Amino acid sequence: MIFRELYSAYYNTVAAIISSIIDGEHSEKELQKIVADRAFGESVLVILPSLKTEKWQLVHPDMTTSLEHKPTMPLTTLQKQWLKAISLDPRVKLFGVKFPDLEEAEPLFTSADYHVCDKYGDGDPFEDEEYIRHFRIILEAIRKGSQIKFEMVNRKGNMMFVRCRPVRLEYSEKDDKFRVITAGCRAVSTVNLANIRFCAHYTGERQSVGEEKAVIYDTVTVKIRDERNAMERFMLHFAHFEKQAEKLDRKNYFVKIKYAHDDESEMVIRILSFGPMVEVTGSESFKKLIIEKLKEQLNYGLK
Amino acid sequence: MMSSYSELIKNFEKIRAYMRDFYVYGFKSRDDFKSKSARSYDDERRRIESWLGDNMSFVRTPEGKNVFISIDSRTIRHNPLYKAWKAKSFTDGDITLHFIIFDILHDPAVKRTVSELLAEIDEKYLSDFESPMMFDESTVRKKLREYCEAGIIVAEKEGRKAYYRRADSTDISDLNDVLHYFSEVAPCGVIGSFILDKEESDTDSFTFKHHYITCAIDSGVLAALFTAMREKRAVTISNMSRLKDLPRLNRIVPLRVFISVQSGRQHLLAYLPEYNSFHSYRVDYLSNVKLEEPTPRFDELRAELDRMQGKMWGVSVKRNKWGVDHLEHVEFTVKVKDNEEYIVGRLEREKRVGTVEKLDDNTYRFSADVYDSSEMIPWIRTFICRIVKMNFSNRSVGNRFKKDLEVMYRMYNVEEVSE
Repeated sequence: MIFRELYSAYYNTVAAIISSIIDGEHSEKELQKIVADRAFGESVLVILPSLKTEKWQLVHPDMTTSLEHKPTMPLTTLQKQWLKAISLDPRVKLFGVKFPDLEEAEPLFTSADYHVCDKYGDGDPFEDEEYIRHFRIILEAIRKGSQIKFEMVNRKGNMMFVRCRPVRLEYSEKDDKFRVITAGCRAVSTVNLANIRFCAHYTGERQSVGEEKAVIYDTVTVKIRDERNAMERFMLHFAHFEKQAEKLDRKNYFVKIKYAHDDESEMVIRILSFGPMVEVTGSESFKKLIIEKLKEQLNYGLK
Repeated sequence: MMSSYSELIKNFEKIRAYMRDFYVYGFKSRDDFKSKSARSYDDERRRIESWLGDNMSFVRTPEGKNVFISIDSRTIRHNPLYKAWKAKSFTDGDITLHFIIFDILHDPAVKRTVSELLAEIDEKYLSDFESPMMFDESTVRKKLREYCEAGIIVAEKEGRKAYYRRADSTDISDLNDVLHYFSEVAPCGVIGSFILDKEESDTDSFTFKHHYITCAIDSGVLAALFTAMREKRAVTISNMSRLKDLPRLNRIVPLRVFISVQSGRQHLLAYLPEYNSFHSYRVDYLSNVKLEEPTPRFDELRAELDRMQGKMWGVSVKRNKWGVDHLEHVEFTVKVKDNEEYIVGRLEREKRVGTVEKLDDNTYRFSADVYDSSEMIPWIRTFICRIVKMNFSNRSVGNRFKKDLEVMYRMYNVEEVSE
C-alpha cells in the first residue's frame, strides 16, 4: 500500500522538528521554517500549532520534548521491494554502488512485468565499460563542480577536443539516452554521453568560465478538433510541456505550448502526427514548416 | 463555525481525477466538474494549490476561473505530483504513538512487550502533558500489527511473551544518485521519493527530457498490479471507460504493463477468462484493484503474450475467440535526400516490430505485420514530406490516411506545384 501516513510530509516534517529540538533549537521561527521547507503551503497553520497545543503530544508548550532520539524509521517492505527491483535494472551498473542486503524482499517488479513499448531502439550502451567509466567521471565532476576533458566527433564528422564543466545529466526516456549539459564551453553546450571518447578529469589550471547556456523558448498555438479522441490524446502527448488550454466550443480547443527552440523539428513532426485533428495557428514560422512538409508530400503524390 | 477542511486526505482516489484534469487538460472551469459538489471542487482545488504552490496557475474566462497545473518537466528535478502521495491524513493518536514507539524502540536491540510499551508511553512520554492522551492496549497492539505488516517493526516470541523491536536499518548511504535517477524513471518512482524524503538532501545531478509525470498519480494501481503479477493472481478491477459514465467491474489476469514514453499513457495487458481473450486497459482508468486467487495459467498466458508482442505495434491485440491471430500488413516507402541519413537512422531506431529495407541509395521501405495497423498511423504521419508509396492490407486504414492528408492540404491551402 503506497498511500499511508508513514510516508507523509507531515510525519517527515515533525521528525525534522523533533531532531532540531533535540539539537537545541527552540525558536518557533526556526521551527516554522522547517515546516515551510518540508511540508505544504498551508501546513504552517497546522503542524506547529498542533504540537504547541498538545494535540500531538510530542513537544511541550516550551518547545522541549520528552523524546530522546532523533526520529528515524527503518525502510518499509514496500521500499525494500522497490529498491530490489531497481537493483535488477541494468542501468544501475552505471552508478557502481553496492546495494544493501535487502534480505528476503521480493522485487516489486521485474523486467518481465513491464514493457516500454515505444522507446527508440538505439539507446545508450548502459553496460559498456567505457560508457560506464565516462558516466562516473562526469557524475563526479558534476558533484564537485570540476572540469572534464574529452574527445568527440561533431555533426560534420570532425574530431573535437572539449574542456568543460558538466552541470547536469539529462536523461530522455524516449531516446533512452543521457546528454551531458555543460557550462564554460562555447562550442558544445549539450553532448550525447555515448558520443564522448577518452573522457577524463581535467586537472590543468585553465578555468571554464560561464554558466549553462540559457534555453531559448518559442511557442506554438494549435486548434484541436476533438474527433477520434484527439483532444485527450494531444493533451496527454504534450503533457510534459508548459502549456495553456482553452475550450472554444463543444468540439474545438486552443492550446498554446512553450517549447525549446532547439526542439522545433521534433515539435513539427509530433504535431504532424495528429493529422487533420490538430491545426497550427501560430506562429507563422512554425506554420510555414508544416506547410513546407505538406507541399513536398503533395508533390510526391501517393500511388 | 470551524471549517473541517484539511490539506490532508483519507482517500487518494478522490483526488486522482482532479489532479489529472488540472494537469492534463487545464481548461476546465468549476462548472465542468458538475459531477462533483461545489464544496468538494473548492476543497480539492485548495488542497492541490497547497501541495503544488507555484506550479498552479489560473486564467479567467467568460465561463469562470480555470485552474490548471502547468509544468515543463524538463526544468524540474523531482516530480511535483508525488506530493499528493504524501498527504495521507491521520489521527492525533496515530502521530503521537508513532514517534513515541520509535523513540522507545530506537535501536533493533531494544525490545518491549505491549504492556511494557504501554507503561513507558504513559509514564515517560505523556504524563507531563496537561491532559495526557490515553492509549489502551488494543490500540497499541493494532498499531504494532500495522507496523509489522509494513515491515518496520518485528514481532518475536520468547516463551509465551511477544516482544516487539524495530526492524534492522538498511544502509542506503551510497544510493543518493541511484534514488534521484530511478525515482523519476522507474515504475512507482514515488516509492524512491519516499526514501529520499528520509535522507539529508544531497547533490541532485539529473534532469529529464520527454518526461511524463502524470503517471505518478496511478502509482497505487500500478503497485497493486505488480503485486498481483508477482503472486500470479487474478484481480477484480474497476474500469472507467471514456464512453460510459459508470465504471465496469472486470475479473482479469494482469500480465504486463505497457508503458509509452511517447504518448504519456500506460496500459495493462490482461487476460479475460470470461471471454478467453487478451485485452488492454488504460491504467489511468483503472481503480479498486482487489487481489483474487492465484491462477495456475499465469506462466502459460504470459508466454502467449510474449509471442503476441512480436506483432503488436502498440497495445492492440486482434484475435478471434479461438485464439487465431488477425494480422494486417503495412508497408510504406520513403525518399531520402543525399544529406538525410538521419531519416534512415530514424526508421531503424523507430521501427519496433517492423523491418527496413534499402531499395536504392535514396529509397527505403518499411514493412510490418501487426494486429492493428491503425496504431501506426500517427508514426507514419511523421514521415509526411517523403512518403512515395504505401500499402495497407486494411484498406479502410489506408484510405483514411490518404483522406486525412487531403484534409490537411485543404486546411493549410496547400496546392500542387507543377515542376
